[in-house]
Amino acid sequence: MNDLTRRNALRLAAAGLAMPWVTKAQAQERKITLAAYTGMFEDLYKKTVVEPFMKANPSIKVNYVGMPTSAQNLGTLRAQKASPQVDVCIMDVTVAKAGANESLYKTVTTEQLPVMKQLTPSALIEGAPGPAVTFDMIVLMYAPQKFQDAPTSWKELWNAKHKNRIAIDAPPNLLGLGLTLIANKMAGGGDYRQSVAKGIELLGDLAPLVQTWEPKPDCYAAVTNGAVDLSIGYNARTQISSKQTPDRIAAVIPEQGSVAQINTINLVNGSSQTEAALQFMSYALSQEAQSTFTEAAYYSPTNPNASISADARQRTAATPEKIAKMIDVDWIAVAKIRDAITEQWRRNVISRS
Amino acid sequence: MKDSAAVDQSNSSRRAAGVVFGLLLPILIVNIIAFVVPVLNLAAMSFRSATAIGSLDEALTLSTWQSLLGDTFYWSILWRTVWMGALITAVTLLLSYPLALFVSRRSGWVKTVLVVACISPLLISAVVRTYGWMVILGNQGFLPALIRASGFTPPRLINNEFGVLVGMTEILMPYMILSLLSGFGRLDPILDQAAETLGARPLTVLRRIVLPLSLPGILLGCLLCFVLAVSSFITPKMLAGGRVSLLATEIYDQAIVTLNWPLAACLSVFILFVFGAALLAYGQLSKIVD
Repeated sequence: MNDLTRRNALRLAAAGLAMPWVTKAQAQERKITLAAYTGMFEDLYKKTVVEPFMKANPSIKVNYVGMPTSAQNLGTLRAQKASPQVDVCIMDVTVAKAGANESLYKTVTTEQLPVMKQLTPSALIEGAPGPAVTFDMIVLMYAPQKFQDAPTSWKELWNAKHKNRIAIDAPPNLLGLGLTLIANKMAGGGDYRQSVAKGIELLGDLAPLVQTWEPKPDCYAAVTNGAVDLSIGYNARTQISSKQTPDRIAAVIPEQGSVAQINTINLVNGSSQTEAALQFMSYALSQEAQSTFTEAAYYSPTNPNASISADARQRTAATPEKIAKMIDVDWIAVAKIRDAITEQWRRNVISRS
Repeated sequence: MKDSAAVDQSNSSRRAAGVVFGLLLPILIVNIIAFVVPVLNLAAMSFRSATAIGSLDEALTLSTWQSLLGDTFYWSILWRTVWMGALITAVTLLLSYPLALFVSRRSGWVKTVLVVACISPLLISAVVRTYGWMVILGNQGFLPALIRASGFTPPRLINNEFGVLVGMTEILMPYMILSLLSGFGRLDPILDQAAETLGARPLTVLRRIVLPLSLPGILLGCLLCFVLAVSSFITPKMLAGGRVSLLATEIYDQAIVTLNWPLAACLSVFILFVFGAALLAYGQLSKIVD
């Protein structure tokens, strides 16, 4: 009995002595997984947001998992629903809404994330589980070598001299859906929630000029490598390519305006590191992170306090003249009619090419 | 004495059965985990539905199957998939048969080198080979440039069914050649010589001797290429330019782009029926040939 007591006492003493190291090790083990876009987005987001965050919070390690699309991101969350391995995800608002309906995220509040109070009102979207972290817009991409003057209108796409030199990402891709809404407005089609028939008719006239409805590897490479002269894409991505090869690709927001694209940052339901995840989300939405990411990647910040250089602001979708040209689109409403629009494209647009 | 021999025999056959079962068990477990369970999962998913914005509905329903079977668009995709699969298989066979026959008639190191040359494209990823075709047939590619230099306007060579046909044929040729070479194993060159001695012309030898004896290899190659052509997704996705909807590419779009997993699951089950039909046809034709 005496022997046993002594052994227990020794164990307790050893445990007591080891406690500071155990606690420290547990504190160091705070690891969160962020699932967001792969490619350029991943490179720049790691460099400008993830790494500075880890430097400022040495007790939290962020593991970045690259996802080619928001839909693939959602697919991963669905597959891991019983045991989530992702804590925070960045994805398109329409896809985020689909996941919200399946309770894949925890809705975050301003109490949990006080930084949300700083965000522009349009960053807090009804029905979305998390706030917007980046804004972007659809632009007309062109090969500067092939144009004496930059195109100023979406009508350039309908110019017969570009026959077989145009690449369009057709619906269900969001770029194609965005073009449908723009074409509908150009054709005087009225409220897109009621009908896009006029836009589809106009796009049918464009169809014979189009080389591909599914540019590979993507529309940016198609313009950069000279396979086509005109395409549509997202502003931020085009600006990065344009900065690297200004003579091969450039972007314009035509006079008829454009539509926005929104990425939200969301807390995954069942995350085992909620506190650390919220800490990261808070940093991602902060003035500092929003500034550095915008300077590097040209996504518009959702935190208006972010300080942006004149050059970066000019390249983003955030200048007053660009904002003034935006076509008001409810993407969650568009998501509900996406199948119908895709069907009309197949029957009345692609079939004419 | 007889009884004890019978008991011994029964014990040994039971032991042999046990050994066979033991040897099969690992692959059975792997198959159940990696094939049966996912297929059942897929079938279960096909009885759910997706809302307009892509979220999954928990309730079991037949609505996805009803919308699939009632929509002529999906029947047209099925038809195009089967038609393209058959066309690709036929062209692959036509191009591979003379090559395989030539290789089978060689011997020694020449034959080895030729066989390696025929199957060496398999060492390169299908994606890379497809990109190669995009470079050759693309708008500014080698072939259109050659046509332009000859003073003609080149037709569209990719981003349509022709591009898919060319890319898939090249990708499937090694499989067809390997199947044909295995079929030519039963073809004794002496039979050709015997036919020629009896006055048969080369074409008659090919029609009456070579072709009938190589039918098992042809059937195997056709089955393999058809199944691979129908299920192929990367090459049609890259070379069709969004103009050619096939079952495999539609499954990708529904699963990855529009997030309609139930519809993607229905289409996947649909494609399994196509494979089942191809296997049945192969079985029947094999019996006739044998």
